[in-house]
Amino acid sequence: MKFLRHLAAVVLVVAVIVGLGVLWAHTSGGAGPRPAPSPEALLRLEQIKEQIKTGVIRVRSDNGFHLADTGNLIRTCEIEAVLAVAVITVSVVRRRRHRTRRTTARA
Amino acid sequence: MNAGPATPAADSPVTASRRRILARTRLDFWLDALLLVAYTLAYSLGFTGIATHEWLGIGLGVVLLVHLTLHWDWVIRTTRKLLRRGGRERFVWLVNLLLLLSMTLCIASGILISEVALPELGITPAAGSFWRQMHDTTATLTLILVPIHAALDWRWVVGVARRFAAWRPGRSR
Repeated sequence: MKFLRHLAAVVLVVAVIVGLGVLWAHTSGGAGPRPAPSPEALLRLEQIKEQIKTGVIRVRSDNGFHLADTGNLIRTCEIEAVLAVAVITVSVVRRRRHRTRRTTARA
Repeated sequence: MNAGPATPAADSPVTASRRRILARTRLDFWLDALLLVAYTLAYSLGFTGIATHEWLGIGLGVVLLVHLTLHWDWVIRTTRKLLRRGGRERFVWLVNLLLLLSMTLCIASGILISEVALPELGITPAAGSFWRQMHDTTATLTLILVPIHAALDWRWVVGVARRFAAWRPGRSR
């Protein structure tokens, strides 16, 4: 029962955030559908479709992990690791400094 | 012969309460680990491809609701005592608030610009460039905030991981 009450509160908060986002989109005029493409863009699209049909452009099916692009995953992990290490270092240094100050004050 | 763990009926109130706390800690730990791995994969669009990226993002949204619900007590408690608390507690609260905002907008905008997941369900979203820009910006912000959010609780993570490492089957901890 408590879980459901909390879940309802969370859903409400999330709904408010999304609602504010939609409001922001409306006020900035970006909430509407995408503008119709220009005749040049449509022509280029037809050319690309033709190139796909004739095999000039090869399309890779996009329904799984691209193990060849592990570099992308590694880069994400590296960014996360660097930030986490920075936060942990600051935390350790602060804690040590705090402890030293307390020991000095006691002495 | 090992007698094994005592039955719940034989547990003292203290042991039962301790068991509940440990079960909750275990749930928090594994759910947080799952969220971190899912987020890392979802952010790596070049690795997952668009379809996996979108389905992971939607799943992440659902698990995030559960994560927030499990920590709702902390949210209320810290928000109430915000003025009385020290600098660190306030900083953690601010990081968490920013993460909530950016993650929610990131997932919502991702759903609105969906190219595979929603069309597969028969829904064609017609979001403009505003939501695309919003998705890019909030995703970058989230990439900065997620590791900070996780690292701020590194002592808890290390403590729980140590307890798991020392755990042996059949031994109540």
